[in-house]
Amino acid sequence: MKKVSVSEQGLVEKAKRHAAAVGVAMKESVTPLTATVFYPRERKKMPDNFRGYLLFDPEKCINCWECAFICPANAIQMKKAPAPNNRFYPTVDYGKCIFCHFCIDSCSGGALRTTKIHDVAYREMGEMLTLTEEMIEPPEIIREDKKSVEYEIKKDDLHLKRTREVDGLFVEPTPPVEIPMVSQCVDRASCLGCRVCEEVCESGAISSSSAEGVLEAEGVLRMKIDIEKCTGCGLCVKECSMQILRLVRRGK
Amino acid sequence: MAAVAAETTTGQSEWEVAVPEKPLKEKVYFENLKAQVIDTELCSRCLTCAAVCPALPEGITLTADDKVGFPDYEEKCLDCGACVRVCPRFEYEPKSGLGEYTDFIAGQSKRFKGQDGAMVTELIVSAIEMGLIDRGLFVGRDNRWATNIFHVRDPEQLAITTLGGTKYTFASVLPELKRAVLLTKSGVGVVGTPCIVSGVRKLQQEFPIFREKVKLVVGLFCTENFHHTEISDYLQKKGVDFSKLVKTDITMGKFIATMTNKTVKFKVKALEKILPSGCNVCTDFTAVEADASVGSVGSAAGFSTVAVRNENARRVVEFIKKRGYADFGEGKPEELAFLVGHKKKRAENIPGFQDQEDK
Repeated sequence: MKKVSVSEQGLVEKAKRHAAAVGVAMKESVTPLTATVFYPRERKKMPDNFRGYLLFDPEKCINCWECAFICPANAIQMKKAPAPNNRFYPTVDYGKCIFCHFCIDSCSGGALRTTKIHDVAYREMGEMLTLTEEMIEPPEIIREDKKSVEYEIKKDDLHLKRTREVDGLFVEPTPPVEIPMVSQCVDRASCLGCRVCEEVCESGAISSSSAEGVLEAEGVLRMKIDIEKCTGCGLCVKECSMQILRLVRRGK
Repeated sequence: MAAVAAETTTGQSEWEVAVPEKPLKEKVYFENLKAQVIDTELCSRCLTCAAVCPALPEGITLTADDKVGFPDYEEKCLDCGACVRVCPRFEYEPKSGLGEYTDFIAGQSKRFKGQDGAMVTELIVSAIEMGLIDRGLFVGRDNRWATNIFHVRDPEQLAITTLGGTKYTFASVLPELKRAVLLTKSGVGVVGTPCIVSGVRKLQQEFPIFREKVKLVVGLFCTENFHHTEISDYLQKKGVDFSKLVKTDITMGKFIATMTNKTVKFKVKALEKILPSGCNVCTDFTAVEADASVGSVGSAAGFSTVAVRNENARRVVEFIKKRGYADFGEGKPEELAFLVGHKKKRAENIPGFQDQEDK
């Protein structure tokens, strides 16, 4: 059997090592090296694209339902807004939400936006269903934090960097990318000539030769979409009963 | 952020629509249709007009007494003329006879059970299996024998037993056909009486979208059809219990309602009082404009007669033969002579028809 023994060290070496140990102990007692954030007295600084609590702006909502369609957790349901505005707006069930924020990515009007709020508490399960009205204003926040904390790597060690300033929880929403579109007729022979498109067009881009007497004289109805005036809103596309109007990319 | 996949195919920004002529210059098109077709009792209730009417959600629809109407046309009619363009009876050219056909055969499906040989079901389902179409429109019924339309996309759906069999009641096939045409990817198959077939052909003649998407039109041999309320009232008076009714049929001039416990028989002539005015002026027994016409007359019991009229239908029949889905026999066109003649005589009922003959 072989006995393991402490390697023989000189007296000087021993004293040096003891002194170093005492030094570390002294340092730790003054400024301890720890990765713990003392929440709620301090908060970790979150990046601007942090996926947190959702806020909603009904003014920007175009009622496309895309957020509800895309939600993989089925957390978003559309609810009819109280009269007089009969539109449908999203509600979020935070009992289901997985914070993937596909809803925000899909929102073409930029009505949904993220916040850095990640710490919301509810008394019961039912409260987790957040109605549209509750999503417009941020929830009641009691902030006890005085510092914000960031992690940084120094000499292969994880260090906490504390700053006295308090981190803001709200981020300006990124404006949605607009693709310029224009309405076009893709099957002119199937046109009924009902002029519903002309009727619904808000920008006056669609016109027809339906003036008094013109139709009878010519025996033919001329339809025209003024590409310059068309805003690409798609109302005519939606209303065309033969589905022969399409939105196409402008300038091609 | 949200990058919407946009179509890059460019369309037209200027186009022209030919406007049909109005007999009544000062009136909207629906009033023209009403004066020319509905008020003259020529209307066949095929609902081709309702299928294209863009005045949604009101538009041309059925009134309470199962006639074609437009409750608020003075206000709501968009005056586009689509109804007049597609109405098969606006400038009525009555068709009659056996029509053109390449094959006249009798068939009995081995897979399905129907009125006779279930060849209508077989043709549509085989066309789906061939990939010619991706949906077929079938007429089903509820427990009061009122009709409703089903989109059949898979043969398994035919487990609904009400899809086969003759109903002798009008169905709103064409409005549903338009929905099917807008939904389909490869094509639609449709089954209908001669008036519905004529409506489909008119739609195809006017609008390319129907020309491209309606790929199989199966016509039914038809002497007449009935409004649901009238036929159901009559049958109830005759002692027919709808909850037990399993099959209705007309053979040898007799209407036979088969129930689970008994059968009720009476002469078809007795139904003349409730014969719809549109059928009274219809001369087409065999649906001469269909791709294939199917009926019970002209073949042995348990078989359906199939008149194959064009290439599309011929390919479907070839497919059925190749797969052995049905037994085939000889069709006897001469057996149809009586009923073809019977309907041809109805030309006398068309207002102004005699004048045309004289000219």
